[in-house]
Amino acid sequence: MTKLFVIARREFTGCFHSWLGVMMGVLFFLVTGVFFVILVLSYVKISMDPRQFGLSSLNGINQTQFVFSSFFSNLSIILLFFVPLLTMRSFAEEKRQETLELLFTYPLSDFEIVAGKMLGIVWFFEFLLVPLLGYLAVFRWIGGELDWGPVLSGFLGFWLLGMAYLAAGVFVSSLTRSTVVSAIGTFSVLVVFWVFEWVTEISDGVWAKIFGALSPLGHYRHFTLGIVDLQDVVYFLFFFLYFLYLAIRSVETRNWKS
Amino acid sequence: MKDDMIASEKSNPSPLVRFENVSKKYGRILALNDVSFEIKEGEIIGFLGPNGAGKTTAMRILSGFFPPTQGRVRIKGADFFKHPKKAKRFLGYLPESVNLYPDMKVCEYLKFVAKLKGVRRRDFNVHVRGKMELCGLGQVGHRLIGRLSKGYRQRVGIAQALIGDPALLILDEPTTGLDPKQITEIRELIRALGHNRGIILSTHILPEVSMLCHRVMMINQGRIIASGTVRELESCLKDRDGVHVVIQSKQYEEAALRLLRALPGVEGLKSCEAARGEIDLSFETSYAEDLRPRITKLFVEHGIPVVEIQRVKLALEEIFLHLLKEGKVEGKPS
Repeated sequence: MTKLFVIARREFTGCFHSWLGVMMGVLFFLVTGVFFVILVLSYVKISMDPRQFGLSSLNGINQTQFVFSSFFSNLSIILLFFVPLLTMRSFAEEKRQETLELLFTYPLSDFEIVAGKMLGIVWFFEFLLVPLLGYLAVFRWIGGELDWGPVLSGFLGFWLLGMAYLAAGVFVSSLTRSTVVSAIGTFSVLVVFWVFEWVTEISDGVWAKIFGALSPLGHYRHFTLGIVDLQDVVYFLFFFLYFLYLAIRSVETRNWKS
Repeated sequence: MKDDMIASEKSNPSPLVRFENVSKKYGRILALNDVSFEIKEGEIIGFLGPNGAGKTTAMRILSGFFPPTQGRVRIKGADFFKHPKKAKRFLGYLPESVNLYPDMKVCEYLKFVAKLKGVRRRDFNVHVRGKMELCGLGQVGHRLIGRLSKGYRQRVGIAQALIGDPALLILDEPTTGLDPKQITEIRELIRALGHNRGIILSTHILPEVSMLCHRVMMINQGRIIASGTVRELESCLKDRDGVHVVIQSKQYEEAALRLLRALPGVEGLKSCEAARGEIDLSFETSYAEDLRPRITKLFVEHGIPVVEIQRVKLALEEIFLHLLKEGKVEGKPS
């Protein structure tokens, strides 16, 4: 079990050994910062003269909901672009450099290799989340009234969504030896899941129900509104474990193909 | 508990590695066909074969990279595919192309490997330090692997294989890409390491095999076509000699070939054009009989100008080529 952490540590520190990791950290901070500032400013604008905007078109005018629930919804779209970049190197790069061959000859199980890599990437993802706490401080500093519940549940939901997406990305990465193919493949998979959300909007009845239940964003929205439902947690957990399992099986397939 | 187990296995006279009827298929291609062999402790085994013969496949199976389609592999009695973790603890592997994480420092990488191989925390630093010294890496410990020269990267590869003091070392072409001085050093190292463990090494350099290895296995088209000590392999061909006859020009080739074919004791006749339009006719003959006087006489009688006639002893190279052609050695099947 300790070997799992050894692999995870290498994966995590490896993110900082390349400019890619550093740039992603900076970019993530920058993009989320822009979103945060825009949301805060637009709230300020609306609160100056609510009549002009027509209050009935706004679902909630409470500060936390207006800023942070939209913020977390936007984050889920950013995640769509970031996850492929975070996970593309995990296996594809090692296959391309053929460093995976040696790893397979050490006394490790496939589970330890895959879960270790997964954990390392999750650590990096969590590391990206840390600066987001700064926005809370800024929000309070400028005089915002924070409702902690929805904010924390938003973080929890974002973390769960990130884990689920990362697992899908690691699985796609394990299928190929090209990082570009891995990134594009992961993006496609995530977009397909994203599209599930639209199905619920254009159709109704059974299909809407099925796709609504499968849509990660549908489950995620509950978290951004401050609802922590066990169903949603189980959904993301299942999503994560399912792709982790697929990734392990995919790594095992070296056993029956060349 | 673990140590007790290893100790009890040590007292067991069973071989270090047992490769039992191993076959490996890639789709329809049969890369290894019913290969069996054993390696004892303290033995250095050379693996010879042309490209695509199945050397690397055999080594990859032995290293636990992938399992065979059929058959069993045991290391110190541990079945590779029932207890892969236990079996892999006994081996160190140097792949054909040494690919290491370019973004890690040498010392950082070796520590990473030591942790993965489960080297005990107590003698952790001493162990890693020792392997670095042994492979001459003392000076480059804090350099990035990606910035090292090929020779040094090869050494890191060997150090990586040595970590954890495995009972079996699998070296896939360990001396490629090294300068002559390094090659000698690495060979010395391999010889020194061979005392208390098993080493299996594949190489293209035939003199290296006769220099280092106690036993040679020749492999072609997925089969072991010969195995034995270098001396044994030489002796089973010792009654064979090569003869080269060089004639002056191509116009005599037909007549010369006809004469030689008619001569009893001539085998494997080949002709090829040498420099200045001369024709080199080569064949094998038995050691006991010297055909040279007869040939000279015959050729002179038929008016074929002989410019050179030479008898050569077959070395490991010729044995190798002979085996590849014939598929086996008479009286000494694998």
